[in-house]
Amino acid sequence: MTDTAKEHMVMEHLVTLTYHERLTENLNRYADNLLEGRIIGAKCPSCGRVFVPSKGYCSLCVVPTTEADELELPDTGIVTGFTIIAPVNYYGQKKTEPFVYASVLLDGADTTLGGMDITGVAHSDLRSGMRVKAKWKPRGERSVEAMSNRGWGGFGDVVESFEATGEPDADEEAFKEHLF
Amino acid sequence: MPAAKSTRGDIAIVGYAQTPSLRDANPSEVQLLVPTVTAAIEMAGIGRREIGFTCAGSCDYLTGGPFAFVSNLEAAGAWPPISESHVEADGAWAMYEAWMRLQEGDIDIALAFGSGKSSPSNPAEVWAQQLDPYYLAPLGVDPVSLAGIQARALLDSGKATEEDFARAVVNSRRNAASNPNAQLRDADASVEALMAQPYFRAPLRKHDCPPISDGAVAVVMARGDRARELCARPAWIRGMDHRIEAHQPGVRDLTSSPSTALAARKAGYDGGPLDVVELCGTFSPQELILLDALGLSLDGDTKVNPSGGALAGNPIMAVGLVRIAEAAARIIDGSANRALAHATGGPLLQQNLVCLLEGE
Repeated sequence: MTDTAKEHMVMEHLVTLTYHERLTENLNRYADNLLEGRIIGAKCPSCGRVFVPSKGYCSLCVVPTTEADELELPDTGIVTGFTIIAPVNYYGQKKTEPFVYASVLLDGADTTLGGMDITGVAHSDLRSGMRVKAKWKPRGERSVEAMSNRGWGGFGDVVESFEATGEPDADEEAFKEHLF
Repeated sequence: MPAAKSTRGDIAIVGYAQTPSLRDANPSEVQLLVPTVTAAIEMAGIGRREIGFTCAGSCDYLTGGPFAFVSNLEAAGAWPPISESHVEADGAWAMYEAWMRLQEGDIDIALAFGSGKSSPSNPAEVWAQQLDPYYLAPLGVDPVSLAGIQARALLDSGKATEEDFARAVVNSRRNAASNPNAQLRDADASVEALMAQPYFRAPLRKHDCPPISDGAVAVVMARGDRARELCARPAWIRGMDHRIEAHQPGVRDLTSSPSTALAARKAGYDGGPLDVVELCGTFSPQELILLDALGLSLDGDTKVNPSGGALAGNPIMAVGLVRIAEAAARIIDGSANRALAHATGGPLLQQNLVCLLEGE
């Protein structure tokens, strides 16, 4: 019940739903490799696009991909797009200082890794096209606990960040089709 | 735009496919859908881009993620963009929307699919949330307990006995024995053996309840001459209708299903001969209630649930459309000429959909 002047009746109805889910076979292999410091993607046997991580199918050709279509990718790439978030103190928000949320297109990939931190550069100097390289966490600190079949989570807990390499920026042509 | 003529009654199922009903499928929901949708399209013998409208049915509460349904659409091939819609309901309702869309007369082919994985969640927890938020959901009333109340009401009404429940299960298990997609199959099932089992949620025994299942199903519909070109013997949809009763089970007579009877009548079922009926009774007493609503029985001339029905495999959000696909399969393979399929949603047969199918 509330203590407001008006006599609204408030009923608490807290719902907890629990899900137990195994990673799909393709994500399981991806997770195992991440823990070893390797990034694998899947190349569509029809169009040749490389998905990181593998979805188990190509979403454009609608054909399945299998372990035979998987390949290792380098841990270097390009910042395609980014935002700098000034955290609001909402429930669950652990950050207190502005932080980067960037999409990174690995060299040889056609899909981006989202929500990546970019380090080695001032926020004011961050640019699309900037070359970056993964800064891996020490082996024992890597985790894939947050990874799910729903398409998010995981990568952020095996690397500290992507760090600017200082190489010349990539041409916009290299990433303009892969902004997100 | 030219005036479209009414095409109701001139739309047919020309392709279908389903996954087996599985207790715990490792592939994701969309991974289950990708080969299923492709197989239905291949059976229809069309190109993916010939589909004028796509509608999908699924439930984000089952998948356990907001907007989970969006990735399912990738199984349809959604780039370049397609015309599509989604219902938070069984794929049978997706098919209903696609069938309505075809009746506008400007497209010839539509795709409907349904999918769901019940294995990651606890269905007793999830389905309590579809009840009203004031009286029943806070109690956490789960589907099996609700079905037990319905079963007790049916026994008390004198309309059925526990042996009748078992007879529905025997029919399901025996028919399912020849269906490779069914989950629970037993060619030797007998009423005596089932009646010897202990109660699970009295008066229901475990076999009176559906299994927990994962699965997906897809159906391709085509209109008029296009249907005849694509399929030697299309399953013509003579009518399709769905009706809704009160949400609160406490204000309904749980021993009857007037919405099923009404939907059947509106779909064009006149009580005439039926070769096959595929019912989505997910608990054995519900199968009896549905048969009664349609004026049918387990002992009549109509073959009841030749696939085994929902008691033999219950991939929620696909299971209703599976019934329609199974009925269509009997028409297309020539073993039936008139078939009725049923799908349900909500607690205790609250919403019911009926689809009447015929050969030429």
